[in-house]
Amino acid sequence: MESSRRELIKTTTLALGGLVVGFYVPEKGSSPAWAQGAVPKAPPAPNAFIRIASDESITIFINKLEMGQGVNTSMAQLIAEELECDWQKIQSVSAPVDPVYNHTMMGIQMTGGSTSLASSWEQHRLLGANMREMLRQAAAEVWKVPLDSCQAQKGTIVHTQKGQLTYGQLAEAASRMPLPTRESITLKAAAAYQVIGQSKARVDAADKVNGKAIFGLDVKLPGMLHAIVLHPPFAGAHIKSVDDKKAKATAGVIDVVRMKDRVAVLAKNTFAAIKGRDALAVTWDKKGTDASSSSFLAAFQKAAKGDAPIAETRGLGEKPLLKAKRTIEAEYVLPFLAHAAMEPLNVTINFDGKTCEMWSGHQMPGIDTMRAAQILGIDPSAVTAHTTYVGGSFGRRASKDCDYVAVAAELAKLVKKPLKVTWTREDDMRGGYYRPMALHRVRVGLKDKNLLAWDHRVVCQSIMKGTPFEAMMIKGGIEEAAVEGIAHTPYAFENFRCTQNLVDTPMTTLWWRSVGNTHTAYVMETMIDELAHAFEQDPFVLRRQLLAASPRHLAVLDLLEERSGWKTRDKSGPHAFGVALHQSFGSVVGHVVMVSIVDKMPRVHKVWSAVHCGQVVNPEQAKTQVEGSIVFGLSAALYQEIAVEKGRVQTGNFDTYPVMRIDEMPVVDVAFVASTDAPSGLGEPAVPPIAPAVANAYFALSKKRLRTLPFSKSIQV
Amino acid sequence: MNLTINGKTMTVDIEGDTPLLWALRDELGLTGTKFGCGKALCGACTVHIDGQPVRSCSVPISAAVGKQISTIEGLNDPTSAAVQKAWVENHVPQCGYCQSGQIMSAVALLREKKQPTDSDIDAAMSGNICRCGTYQRIKAAIKQAAGSLT
Ligand code: FES
Ligand code: FES
Repeated sequence: MESSRRELIKTTTLALGGLVVGFYVPEKGSSPAWAQGAVPKAPPAPNAFIRIASDESITIFINKLEMGQGVNTSMAQLIAEELECDWQKIQSVSAPVDPVYNHTMMGIQMTGGSTSLASSWEQHRLLGANMREMLRQAAAEVWKVPLDSCQAQKGTIVHTQKGQLTYGQLAEAASRMPLPTRESITLKAAAAYQVIGQSKARVDAADKVNGKAIFGLDVKLPGMLHAIVLHPPFAGAHIKSVDDKKAKATAGVIDVVRMKDRVAVLAKNTFAAIKGRDALAVTWDKKGTDASSSSFLAAFQKAAKGDAPIAETRGLGEKPLLKAKRTIEAEYVLPFLAHAAMEPLNVTINFDGKTCEMWSGHQMPGIDTMRAAQILGIDPSAVTAHTTYVGGSFGRRASKDCDYVAVAAELAKLVKKPLKVTWTREDDMRGGYYRPMALHRVRVGLKDKNLLAWDHRVVCQSIMKGTPFEAMMIKGGIEEAAVEGIAHTPYAFENFRCTQNLVDTPMTTLWWRSVGNTHTAYVMETMIDELAHAFEQDPFVLRRQLLAASPRHLAVLDLLEERSGWKTRDKSGPHAFGVALHQSFGSVVGHVVMVSIVDKMPRVHKVWSAVHCGQVVNPEQAKTQVEGSIVFGLSAALYQEIAVEKGRVQTGNFDTYPVMRIDEMPVVDVAFVASTDAPSGLGEPAVPPIAPAVANAYFALSKKRLRTLPFSKSIQV
Repeated sequence: MNLTINGKTMTVDIEGDTPLLWALRDELGLTGTKFGCGKALCGACTVHIDGQPVRSCSVPISAAVGKQISTIEGLNDPTSAAVQKAWVENHVPQCGYCQSGQIMSAVALLREKKQPTDSDIDAAMSGNICRCGTYQRIKAAIKQAAGSLT
């Protein structure tokens, strides 16, 4: 074992910065670089993640996609905590594709599910500790002194008599030291943290304020052509004929390439390619389909009346509804939503007929590699995927079938020249892959101040069906992601039933920042508010009663009530307050909002957020995730909907898919429940409770429940 | 066609109706200016023409000839430095994709108004979308930069 691990550690001279230790060379006979489906052995050799150069620079290979959530900084902090290095010397780069970088829980190389810190918490601290120990061992050997007498301090190993050696000086020798055993490492206790819990400036900030950061769309290869693709106008459309005469005559256009159900225009710059595409005359086998937003609604409503598998039953289920004195019945409709990340989809790809290199903001680089290889008809080991910075993802870059990589690979196979394949905003918005539409029917039976029963039907389109995750994620006809937050809700309902129908539409669905919680929390938290009103009870008090067995929720409620001054809030002015909380990805987030009505619409002036996400690794960055989630969730709740007519997505750009702007930004106050528990997710969990908190405040002002999203739709009609 | 960009004359051999954005990005290698919508809706492509913030996706190069164009790569005055420093210190960028445009809008604002009010900031910055939701920090950073420049 020892010696095979030592095999892992090679020294390689690279052009950058002299002797570099820790260049990762796969073990002989180990799975090839593209292998996916294995949880990495713990702990992996530190040199796969950490390189120390003779100039003292420390490069951390980040095996998650930096999409704004700050992993390039926070994951480096985990390593730095144990490495005892100089933080200023750290730089982070995206890891290549290799099984050593696989997700410690999911077994593939991926970013998602708000798990980056949670899944790396032990692994990355161990990586830092192992590297530190190897550096100490190296110093002990050089000095011929006992290991115990060598201390690691800020990038050096010190000895009272011998003086000090820097990590850069020791790196080469350290690479030959045996990997410490797990038992020999004691990770620091929380009280000793010096890097974890500090708001370190983002390591990528400098390059993101001077235009130097290279995003996928910024990659440039010698001789590269710019491709714009005419995509099918709706799923299942096939090309009947193409007249590309005008397109080819467009200045700057180099070629027009017929793909399977697409046509690509290659040009010397993106604009020429767009113009060329506009000049194409393509006829499709059908003009449209009868799929539309209203046909989806009819299908969902029909399904809601039929039978459905049960996701969870408690007590007597829905039966006590018969004895209810009063029943609240509500139907909610939530639309398809696009991710609309700021950087439209793109892939830069170079396939020479034998090998392929591609550059993109890969969220699942190993899977993307395999998909490209499959399309190109080459071995995955002949594909090299480079992960660049990405202008947001919100789930879109974790495409379940690698759709945009597949398009690029299909074109690269035909063209065999360096290509940048760019999606325009409209292509990105209409290119399929949406948060599924959802319809909820809730019946709540009350008798005096008692909740008799809660019956909850979720009608939704599956995300997982037809993906490799289907077997794992759909059980007994129930898609966990469609009912998460309702089935197995922490609210202590005595009699409860949650049922679910999955309805197919021609739309492609995908995880969208916080997945099913985006609709389930909205319904649950507005209904809880309705219950509080029915009982004439304070919504904090009601929630505390129902959550008495959930300490994290209670801690969040306490902190939120205190921070927001809920008990002494001013009820006299033009403002009203609303509250909601929700648990997702292991974290509990509650928001209190202060809202008024401006031009009929709710205007949010202030948000207080209380968060329980375990140990906070970088408090300022953690706050940015909450602030950003509020903007993300509010934008959707206020304005967003993917509208479909005759099979075609109508919504195309930010005029019809508005995003909140700075003048609508509330003041956000974020507080964390102090905790040294292992970190849980934070990229997503602050999204679900914002919309219901606002809807609850809006009710306080208007006495109207907003049951159709976006609010603009409920309010303007 | 000759364009004056960041004080230098640069030549592009493309159609005059090509938006400045694509000339910068694809022909001149100035990729700090970003493509977000192509329709003057998001502000990701904001540059300065003769000191004014404009959406480069909606300005044909023919209309930019003979004017002073500056991009994020060319920022080098004290106002810009103060803005960039405040951006880093306030943890503004998340994905960072919108930030070149945000910074170009903010620098133009601060050159115009030394001490912008909240509504000045709203007016100057509401053409710039940030999908990551960094608005609160953008406001704070602009105020910090303004404070440091007095
Ligand atoms: S790309 Fe120019 S405003 Fe959006
Ligand atoms: S920082 Fe990501 S869009 Fe603004």
